[in-house]
Amino acid sequence: MSLPKLARIPSARLLTSILPHQLLQPPPHPSHQHKFPFQPVNFSFSKGIEGIKKHFTLLKKEFSERLVGPEGKPLLEHLLEQNLVIWEFRGPESLEQWTVSSDQEIGGQSEALLKLGRNDNTCFLYGALRSTPPRDGETRYSGYCSMRSKKLLASFDRKKHHDWSTFNTLHLRVRGDGRPWMINIATETYFSHQKDDIYTYFLYTRGGPYWQDVKIPFSKFFLSHRGRIQDDQHPIWLDKVNTIGFTLGDKADGPFQLEIDFVGVSKDYAHTEEFAYEMYERNPKN
Amino acid sequence: MCVGPGCSAGVSSWRLPRRGISEGDCFLRTSVIINVLFRESQCDGSTMKCARCLLKLQSLRLLGQSARPAAQHGALLQPASSSQPHMLQNTQHQVLRRFHRSPTHDKDRPIPADFFDEDDKKKDKSLVTHDDLFEQVARETKTKATFNKVVEVFIKQDVRRRGHVEFIYAALQKMPEFGVEKDLAVYNKLLDVFPKEVFVPRNFIQTMFNHYPRQQECGVQLLEQMESYGIMPNVETKVLLIQIFGAKGHAVRKYQRMMYWFPRFQNTNPYPIPKYLPEDPVDLAHFSLARIADDRDAKVTVYQLPCTDITESGEEITLPHVVGIQSPSQMELLAKHNPSRPVFVEGPFPLWLRKKCVYYYVLRADPVPPEEKVEEPYDPERSLAYPLQLDLELDRDLGDEESFDVEDLDEGAVFAMCMTSQGDQAVLNQWISGLQQNNPILGRVPTLFRLEQGPRELQGGHQTVSDHRHRPDPETQREEEEVTVEEEPRRSQGMKQ
Repeated sequence: MSLPKLARIPSARLLTSILPHQLLQPPPHPSHQHKFPFQPVNFSFSKGIEGIKKHFTLLKKEFSERLVGPEGKPLLEHLLEQNLVIWEFRGPESLEQWTVSSDQEIGGQSEALLKLGRNDNTCFLYGALRSTPPRDGETRYSGYCSMRSKKLLASFDRKKHHDWSTFNTLHLRVRGDGRPWMINIATETYFSHQKDDIYTYFLYTRGGPYWQDVKIPFSKFFLSHRGRIQDDQHPIWLDKVNTIGFTLGDKADGPFQLEIDFVGVSKDYAHTEEFAYEMYERNPKN
Repeated sequence: MCVGPGCSAGVSSWRLPRRGISEGDCFLRTSVIINVLFRESQCDGSTMKCARCLLKLQSLRLLGQSARPAAQHGALLQPASSSQPHMLQNTQHQVLRRFHRSPTHDKDRPIPADFFDEDDKKKDKSLVTHDDLFEQVARETKTKATFNKVVEVFIKQDVRRRGHVEFIYAALQKMPEFGVEKDLAVYNKLLDVFPKEVFVPRNFIQTMFNHYPRQQECGVQLLEQMESYGIMPNVETKVLLIQIFGAKGHAVRKYQRMMYWFPRFQNTNPYPIPKYLPEDPVDLAHFSLARIADDRDAKVTVYQLPCTDITESGEEITLPHVVGIQSPSQMELLAKHNPSRPVFVEGPFPLWLRKKCVYYYVLRADPVPPEEKVEEPYDPERSLAYPLQLDLELDRDLGDEESFDVEDLDEGAVFAMCMTSQGDQAVLNQWISGLQQNNPILGRVPTLFRLEQGPRELQGGHQTVSDHRHRPDPETQREEEEVTVEEEPRRSQGMKQ
């Protein structure tokens, strides 16, 4: 291949760098036209058919999976499983399992976007962090961007949870830009005041062109509620995990990026710790 | 009649001036008159003025006699509304132990202007008097010394520290301006502004309820600002907090929480960053490259030190620094690279070190296509101490599968990395030609530049951005440049060898 030709090949980049000016401008403000609440709802017949198809396929899958074993795997495999890839990114439909949000929902100015990385087999979360608090007179801090997985749903939109109780370590392969992130795991709760309870730990990235394998034992996760660490700590209950999220809020204004190859769980026999924080009654209690 | 908030304002005002107490009955009467008179339109900002206006009233003694019935009526109603019912008796005994209301509570109720001098009015037009104090004292320089001076001025202004909550809030807001937001001593000094032992609850009921909520909130806010700047309180903070709010106040609780969680997460970062980053760009580049290379054997080379020259024509030329890193294994990889395939210089990619963003460039190749891949066996004698390949028949259990079931990402090898303050091709060419000394293969391999429209000069990033937007079609133009520039290193390299 001649060289000039070679140079015109669309560049397959190892890393992608997002610079502030390349970010999309925030979408123009929607004109406030009056609409009745039912107007945006799609009442089409084809949508109904699709829904029926989707839910009955799920139902069928649920029934047939039971015949093989728990979670569609043979019993032996299920029992002896050492590691499990929960989320990986293969194609655009895998991005639909995630929602991206930033402090724009409270009036901030950060922006976060999600796309597939090179070769369409990684997930690339990028954007810009701006920690200017909204001028509403009561918000004091701002500046976060986050990505959160969607809840698992069984057929007919019933609740379904991840059951990671046989594993003890969260395993990620990421490539960041040196910024620290937070990993948030939300579990199913009973009372409504617990709905913002999440279990949190930090994800430190090295930066640079190399991937980094991160193993975080679940025993390290601590309970927090709306960004405040709680006094009454307890280990995370892994049998009903709803979502996992990645949050950036390190108060350093500027572009950020995080590339995720996969998110998995594994069983680390060398790790025996049950909970990293004291459980005895201490001062202040509660 | 005067059960409303007006009454309580009066309470705080008549309790404060010690001078008035000695006058006993008469003082009491006039104070209640104030209550009666100014129930609707209450005193402005500080209780100082209440006191002053009270003195004026006393001197006038205009209404002394006529208002007596009203005063008695007010005195009857007062216990119900004041925070401490027995205060009336207290004044009889001339014991004034504590003032149990925040003097700033009644800030926003103006006293009739008739009782004030003209200059008083002028001074207090601004709502944020404490901001003014900061601006006045530190008009020209904003340093730690001036900040401390302001605090001292405030402390000396008044024994009772009237308006200290407002002052502390204002001070917290001003701290980043003065550059003291990460100074523990300053926070302790600010805490010292709180009057001691006044807000300590004296019985369990007071402990149970929110005792002096505004003051406690202010204390917690101070601690929260410390927390958000990552400053760990010390014993002095603790002693101060206990003196101010008692051992079980909210602020002390907050302190305890901080002291529990801060040390826990202090050293969790496996890639620590020093507290103070090196100022010198070359040192900073050295540090960041060593950080991202993740290889102890990697060698950092300074290809060019930053310097400023003046040419013969009188032009000033600033040469940017070029610092690169390459490890022996990267050199080995590069030596094995197929010379017919190009290598790429890519960048700039961001790297964050706390709040500082630096940019680096990489030299890399595209992934080797599967048909060209050569499986090379490990040389068993490369390392005798640590065998690189082990084929042991360990007793593994049935499910002992340690690796994840994911496809490996093949992205091509990275051969070297560099950092420079000016990422244009001329400068990066210098890096490549510097690399050629150790990697002769680079002379034969075509090198393509895939530079993004990044910050040419990291300081003036915006300018370059706008420059590039004016270009007609940057994509095609860049590629043409790539091809032309690519010839250059060959020639220069030919001269060298």
